[in-house]
Amino acid sequence: CSPIQRFHGYAPDDTQLAEIEVSRDTRETVAEKIGTPGMMGVMEGSAWYYVQSDWEHGGLRPPTEVRREVVAISFDDGGRVTNVERFGQEQGEVVALSRRVTSTGPTGMTLLRQLLSNFGQFNPAQMLGGG
Amino acid sequence: CNRNTGPDESLADFSAEEIFQRGEYELETSRRSASSLRYFQEVERLYPYTEWSRRALIMQAYAHHRAREYEESRSAAQRFLDTYPGDEEAPYAAYLLALSFYDQIDEVGRDQGLTFQALQHLRRLIEEYPDTDYTRSAILKFELAFDHLAAKEMEIGRYYLRRGNFNAAVNRFRVVVEDFQTSTHTPEALHRLVEAYVSLGLRDEAQTAAAILGYNFEANPFYQESFRLLTGQGLEPEARGEGWLQTIYRQALRGDWI
Amino acid sequence: AFVAPADAQTYRFNTIAIEGNIRVDDSTLFGLAGFARGETVSAGQLNAAYGNIAASGLFETVEFVPQGNTLLIRVSEFPIIGIVNFEGNRRIDDDVITEFVQTRSGRVLSPSMVEADARAIAELYAQRGRSAAEITPRIIPRGNNRVDLAFEIAEGNVVEIERLSFVGNNAYSSYRLRQVLDTKQAGLLRWFVQRDTFVAERINLDRQLLTDFYLSRGYVDFEILSVTSEMARERDGFFLTFNIREGLQYRFGNTSVVSEVEGVDATDYAAELRLRPGTIFSPTVLDQNIARLERLAEQRGLRFIRAEPRFTRDNRNQVIDVEFALVRGDRVFVERIDIQGNTTTLDRVVRRQFTSAEGDPLNPREIRAAAERIRALGYFSDVDVDTRQGSGPDQAIVDVELEETTTGSLGFSVSYGRAQGVGFGISFAEQNFLGRGQQVSISFNTVKGSRDISLQFAEPALFGRDLRYSLGIGYRETSSFFSDFDTREAFLNNSIGFPISEYGRLQLRQGLVADRLTGLPPGGSLRLRDDEGGTAVTGSLGYTYTYDTRRVGLDPTRGWIFSMSQDFGVGNQSRRFVKSEGRAGYEMAIFNEDVTLRGDARVGMLHMIDGNSRNRERFQLANVMRGFAPGDAGPRDFASENDSVLGGNRFFAVQLEAQFPLGTPEEYGLSGGVFADVGSVWGVDNVGRTGITMSDDDGTDYNKMNIRAALGVSLFWDSPLGPLRFDFSRPVRKLDRDRAQNFDFSIVSQF
Repeated sequence: CSPIQRFHGYAPDDTQLAEIEVSRDTRETVAEKIGTPGMMGVMEGSAWYYVQSDWEHGGLRPPTEVRREVVAISFDDGGRVTNVERFGQEQGEVVALSRRVTSTGPTGMTLLRQLLSNFGQFNPAQMLGGG
Repeated sequence: CNRNTGPDESLADFSAEEIFQRGEYELETSRRSASSLRYFQEVERLYPYTEWSRRALIMQAYAHHRAREYEESRSAAQRFLDTYPGDEEAPYAAYLLALSFYDQIDEVGRDQGLTFQALQHLRRLIEEYPDTDYTRSAILKFELAFDHLAAKEMEIGRYYLRRGNFNAAVNRFRVVVEDFQTSTHTPEALHRLVEAYVSLGLRDEAQTAAAILGYNFEANPFYQESFRLLTGQGLEPEARGEGWLQTIYRQALRGDWI
Repeated sequence: AFVAPADAQTYRFNTIAIEGNIRVDDSTLFGLAGFARGETVSAGQLNAAYGNIAASGLFETVEFVPQGNTLLIRVSEFPIIGIVNFEGNRRIDDDVITEFVQTRSGRVLSPSMVEADARAIAELYAQRGRSAAEITPRIIPRGNNRVDLAFEIAEGNVVEIERLSFVGNNAYSSYRLRQVLDTKQAGLLRWFVQRDTFVAERINLDRQLLTDFYLSRGYVDFEILSVTSEMARERDGFFLTFNIREGLQYRFGNTSVVSEVEGVDATDYAAELRLRPGTIFSPTVLDQNIARLERLAEQRGLRFIRAEPRFTRDNRNQVIDVEFALVRGDRVFVERIDIQGNTTTLDRVVRRQFTSAEGDPLNPREIRAAAERIRALGYFSDVDVDTRQGSGPDQAIVDVELEETTTGSLGFSVSYGRAQGVGFGISFAEQNFLGRGQQVSISFNTVKGSRDISLQFAEPALFGRDLRYSLGIGYRETSSFFSDFDTREAFLNNSIGFPISEYGRLQLRQGLVADRLTGLPPGGSLRLRDDEGGTAVTGSLGYTYTYDTRRVGLDPTRGWIFSMSQDFGVGNQSRRFVKSEGRAGYEMAIFNEDVTLRGDARVGMLHMIDGNSRNRERFQLANVMRGFAPGDAGPRDFASENDSVLGGNRFFAVQLEAQFPLGTPEEYGLSGGVFADVGSVWGVDNVGRTGITMSDDDGTDYNKMNIRAALGVSLFWDSPLGPLRFDFSRPVRKLDRDRAQNFDFSIVSQF
């Protein structure tokens, strides 16, 4: 049984990357050649990142990322391309996400309110024991 | 009988002031504020374009609001603002208008659209009537609604982070850091950025995010967690994962996500 | 009008007198005029003041009369409206109309506004198909400048479509085309049915429906030449005629794939095509093949590769050759997915229906599929998913507008049976428990002799993944009113289901049952007595593998369903068994998806490795086939007092069914069906001992595989309560002692 495949993100392939010329291309020309980046760094003027990953779903085991391509294009202060890098999953780390969550004000639907909102609704399936 | 309930004619020969006071009395005493509405509507009908009809209109907006009939309160307040723009009660009407959206957020809890409208009306009130006594409470409510929007972005960011769509998660958390700096969620957003960048292997971006977090929110527990994550020590026990049974309890029964 | 000397003169009035205002107080007038007593005023200001007062809409006439240094402003007020009401409106009630009317009680009467209101009401009626309605406003003076306003509404009857006819249709009958169209010919239940009222925009929807119908059947040149409508003389009916040009029906010729992207070799993409020459040319088949090509590119790690179909037509033998060109499409990304309107449902429950995440390439097919999945949740009365441009030309924002509906029911029931006395029940069911997408149902019923309490819980996305966990726990009692013994059983079962391939799904389950059988009459069957004596506790582990391509497969009109399930049970009294069931079904829609044919073969075996089977585990003929009374057909013990039915360890059943429209107008939701069931239940274990006889007087052994067959007709009704099914059946081949049951009524569960 073939696993269910899911394809996310976009990263330019090598033929497209070949068109980028270091220290000549600017952000505009890079965007024209290979498209705008999927994400950027936190600071102004940070590098551009293109992330593409293929996943396999299905079965009892959790969905696994079977392939990831990250293309990083960094720029100097003048806005010229300084470096074009491509790396995969091996550089990433599996991070245990912190359970701490900033509490938000308004609470959601409470059990009591949902009970009351259903009062008197008629469900045919239950009448016939199908429920 | 005619459309409005109650003995309409008998009110016709009362003066606008007497009907208005009956309405005010009714508003204070009876638990359901809808009964006072009839009097205020009568004042407006029998004596339109008078001082009393102006005050009756604003009282209608207030009564609707107390009866949690937000749609009607909104339209009454809007009508007041349209017909008597310069009136000294206008700030109160604008305030009631903004409240009609704001109070619905708690009841609704999930819907972004309402929060957005509440923010717009609160900002209009703060800008148009800067130094009235409603402005202070409007600013406070603006902060809370603003925080609620930030919470929404965080909720979606965490959804993508846990599913491993780091690209989507980074963009959502950057929206919080850039557009919602003053919200209470910024420290956590920065920490989540550290988590996402480390997962992708972009350690230098993670360092920058952690530096910003440390510089601005040094005492915040999230900074400790970013620090430990970057220096390779594991998470404190309280924030570490646990068995699958506990995960089921927390997620399926309590409805947490991470 | 304002009497003013020609040159620009300035005035100074120290007194301003106002005359003729009854309702409007002087301060309002001064506010409008914009100047106070004693102010020097230029002609321009005076003119502006005049303009304001006139424009205020409060006064019928306004006059400025300068008398020396006093200015007399003489006004006559419009009357103030007392009550606004509507007479003669039966179809649309007052408060709906008031929304469309601006004139309010307490406002000033402005004739132009009243005219506008009358037109608005007329438009409202035209919207509801009553374009013959006439509205006349009437003003009733009430003294001291107050009036009442009444809108007299002559609704006229609904403008119905009498005849709906087509010109130029030879491939499909007018009857068939009427079924396609939304507006129906005014049938018998005329006043009841909404859909045949004549409303202009519905015609555009009909044009689209007609075009789609023909395009999807290969008529590529289909064209609606014109839609003519004539009003019947008495303005109560319409004759609507669609004249169309069908053109010829085309089929697929030969297909090829060519690549215009370097590094992409077309040959292995060509292998991906599923397009046999000669099949009817239809957009859906084309779309499916494009999807297969683009998916292969994605698997190869390439993004934004589009397969553009290029057609060459061969009109002589009505064939179209298709060349799929692989090109680099333009790069558009999903910038954000914004979900609004979910007041109770959590954002993630809706968001997880999207397979693409934010930042992914925009794939319109995926977005449409996600919208369908959100609708299938059943939590929303309205789901509107569309994309708009985001922060850049290559960024798209997906907007999801939702409107929640009630997803739960909380009901109390009181029942009275002559034999069982008074019983009452409470049931709570929620499809979207606390907005988390979980399903919960709790029910408790008690009537003398049969009490049951049960809880069902299901979490469709455990750990946030496509992993459906469900729990069932409960206690049930049945009494001897229905069969000749009482049972009591408590059960607990858990199951977990997940996809293991595109159409395959596996469910693993655990079951635990403790049941007791008592109250067997002295003459009861010895085999049933085996079940007596203490509580039997049985644990079981099992799995079900289902492979289902119906409706989601390549060709939506036909599909297979296979399923294979086995439960390995172990229990006290050294019982060990394997219960296996297999099923193969095929469904096909023919005659342009009007008639659906279903074939379904099922087989089951309860193999006792050790110990005896219990009555509740065995198969019953009535559950396996239609046409037989529950508990009164199948293998019997003739030695027992009333030949009690034992059920059997083996069964097979083949069901053939056809479902077809009855010719009644579509919106009644009626369709008919014929079915034939053939099957048998046999082989109950541990009956070969004295005191049990499985053959009747003339020697037929009821425990053998005796084939039974039943024919029947069924009526399907898509009722507001849900899809109902009425089966009328008659066994054509049965054993003498099998009792038939000719009528059965049920809520249609998914086939």
